Amino acid sequence: MSEAQATPARIKRLIVSSLNLDGMRPEMIDDHAPLFGEGLGLDSVDALELVVALEKEFGIKIKSQEIGREVFSSVASLSQYIESRN
Amino acid sequence: MGRMPTTSDSRRVVVTGVGAVCGFGWGVEPLETGLRAGATALLPFSRFDHSRHRTHLAAQVPEPPSGVAASFPAWRRLTQADRFALFAAAEAVSQAGLAAPLGPAAGVFFGSSTGGMFETELFYRELARKGGRPRLSALASQPVSGPGDAVGRHLQVAGPVRTISSACSSATLALGAALDAIRAGEVEVAIAGGSDSLCQLTYAGFNSLRAVAEGPCRPFREGRDGMSIGEGAAVFVLEPLALALQRGALPLAELAGAGSCCDAHHMTAPDPAGEGAAAAVEAALADAGVAAGRVDFVNAHGTGTPLNDAAEWRALERVFGPRGRLLPLTATKGAVGHLLGSAGAIEALATLLCLRAGEVHPTPGDGPVDPALPLALVTGRPLPLRAEVAVSVNLAFGGSNAALVLSRFPAPADRAA
Repeated sequence: MSEAQATPARIKRLIVSSLNLDGMRPEMIDDHAPLFGEGLGLDSVDALELVVALEKEFGIKIKSQEIGREVFSSVASLSQYIESRN
Repeated sequence: MGRMPTTSDSRRVVVTGVGAVCGFGWGVEPLETGLRAGATALLPFSRFDHSRHRTHLAAQVPEPPSGVAASFPAWRRLTQADRFALFAAAEAVSQAGLAAPLGPAAGVFFGSSTGGMFETELFYRELARKGGRPRLSALASQPVSGPGDAVGRHLQVAGPVRTISSACSSATLALGAALDAIRAGEVEVAIAGGSDSLCQLTYAGFNSLRAVAEGPCRPFREGRDGMSIGEGAAVFVLEPLALALQRGALPLAELAGAGSCCDAHHMTAPDPAGEGAAAAVEAALADAGVAAGRVDFVNAHGTGTPLNDAAEWRALERVFGPRGRLLPLTATKGAVGHLLGSAGAIEALATLLCLRAGEVHPTPGDGPVDPALPLALVTGRPLPLRAEVAVSVNLAFGGSNAALVLSRFPAPADRAA
């Protein structure tokens, strides 16, 4: 699998396109940087938006109780979670 | 009037800050410059594809100056109407010398006609596209209460946050509601105004009614053929006079009175006799304790449709009698277009700016004044006039008529005291 098709790269593209992050490019997001609060500075509305986008992109279902701080803490943790579901 | 006003009069409410966003730009300054120049912001526009509409002009708000987006949280997710509202509110609050959190003694009273409709249209367009992925948050401020709620959140207002949606009188009624809330002692600070953005619903809707002019609207002119649509926001900070003076704020003008009456006549057409509109102006004057003879100029609703302007003139003739023919009259819509749910706020602001500048802004638009309407329309250049009292009128679909009375501060009696 090429770098661009790898799960982390797909997640980053999804974050930028679905959250309307002006001036942000996917490659600017660090795999291990926090997504919420500090770091990328996303909030709870972004979290909802991201859940819907991830479900469509990866064909998975994310139950609300799974929207935990751990899974959504970084691109790396999200990637790991998604790969474990596929 | 039974007695002279005093600065301790608990009914007196002053404006201590103003803010605006309109087709001329972001801030009150571009609005004032455009109005004084007799310019029009009604131009070809790009907000959405209007190639299949009847008309191709609107007063679209330009891109915000650099740095604006970064100064408001979550700007990327805000609707256009929310952005206009937030910027205007921040400008007004800053001028008033106030800052968030405004807390429980403050309230928001806002008018809007379509709220986040533009973004809702984008959402459904994307949803209908094969493989489309609409952004859910585009619906987060879809309700018409979006702009007022955004202002309340940003300024951390913990008192009442209310939105009035009554088409083109929305913001006028919102300013009236703010006035009432201050007089009733419900709030000590009111953030009041309105915001609306261009959207397909209103642009296509008014076009379907054949109510939109192909060129820029020409209020009260001969052969006028319709309205023009604009977008933007205007916000006032209102306070009880006594409290404003106590905290050392500088009143810009007095919001002396508000009135509203319904035509009870038709869904869209005004009562041609202008009875309801006249009653609204009379109610506002009575509320202000001002006789019609003391009004120095009028900022008319003046949409530029044949029916509105004729009915409005009849209403003004009812209120002002033969003097109505000499009373300077202006119509802000020729400059910034019809801001719909925000019209009452930007027009009250234009009225305030005229009071403060000592001149009435001209009404842009080509051609002679309609000879059937013998009124004193200000055209060409500003009319120098040291006015004490002015009336701003808005007449909406559903026959919802509303008027505000603004007056110079300090009033003559205050100056004598």
